[in-house]
Amino acid sequence: MSEVSREVSYGEESIILKTMVGLLYPFIMLFGFSVILNGHYTPGGGFQGGGVLASLFVARFVVYPVEDTDSERLHALQRLFLALIVLVPAALLFTGVVARYEEFRSAYLTLMDILIGVQVGLGLGVAVLRFAFFHGVGQTWHL
Amino acid sequence: MRVVASVLFVLTVFLLVTGITASNQVELDPLMYDYIVRNFEEDTHAKNAVASILLNYRMYDTMFEALILLAAIIGMNQFLPRESDMRHHESREQQTEDNDE
Repeated sequence: MSEVSREVSYGEESIILKTMVGLLYPFIMLFGFSVILNGHYTPGGGFQGGGVLASLFVARFVVYPVEDTDSERLHALQRLFLALIVLVPAALLFTGVVARYEEFRSAYLTLMDILIGVQVGLGLGVAVLRFAFFHGVGQTWHL
Repeated sequence: MRVVASVLFVLTVFLLVTGITASNQVELDPLMYDYIVRNFEEDTHAKNAVASILLNYRMYDTMFEALILLAAIIGMNQFLPRESDMRHHESREQQTEDNDE
C-alpha cells in the first residue's frame, strides 16, 4: 500500500513544509513534555500535553504520508498505559499511601500526568493514523 | 411531519427538564468548594486546584475519561474498513490496469 500512497502524495513535494516541520518537530515534542511535566504547577496537564504530542503524528503524516508505522503496536502500547493509569491510583491513591506520606504527593501527580499524557498522545495518534490511511476509497486521504 | 414531530418532542423534553430542575432547586452549602479551595495545596502538593481535583479528589472521573479514548479507538478499528477488506478492490483495479495494457 505504501507504493500507492507514494504515488498519489503531493504533500512531500513542498520543501517549505518539509523544512519547517523538521525544524519545529523537536520543539513540539519539548513543548508537549513541558506541558505534561508542569501539569501540577501551571494550567495544562496530561490531556493537553497528550494532545500536543499527538500533533507530532499529524506533522509527520503531512510531510511523509507513507504508512510505515504499525498502529496496532501503538494501540497495544496505549492499552498498556491505560492499564497503568488504572493500576497506579489503585495502588497509591486508593490505599491511602499518598494521603499518609507527604513526600509521595508531587511525585504521584507527576507520574500520573506523564502516564495520562503518553496515553492520550498515543491514542490520538492511533486515531489520526487510522483515519489518514483509510483505505475505504482505495487511496490515501490527504490533509 | 416527522421533522415537526421531532422538533416538538425535543422542545417538550427541554421544557420538561428545565421546568423540573427550576422547580426543585435546592440550596447546597458550599462545603466541598470551601474545603477544596482551602486545603488542596497541603492535601495534594499541587499548585493549581484543577490538577489536584483531576488527579486526586476525582480520580475515578479521570480514569473513566481515559477509557473513553480506548472506546473510540475500538469503535474505529471495528467500523473502518481494513486493508484486508479492500483486497478485492485492489485486485479489481489491477485487472482493469491489465486490460488497459
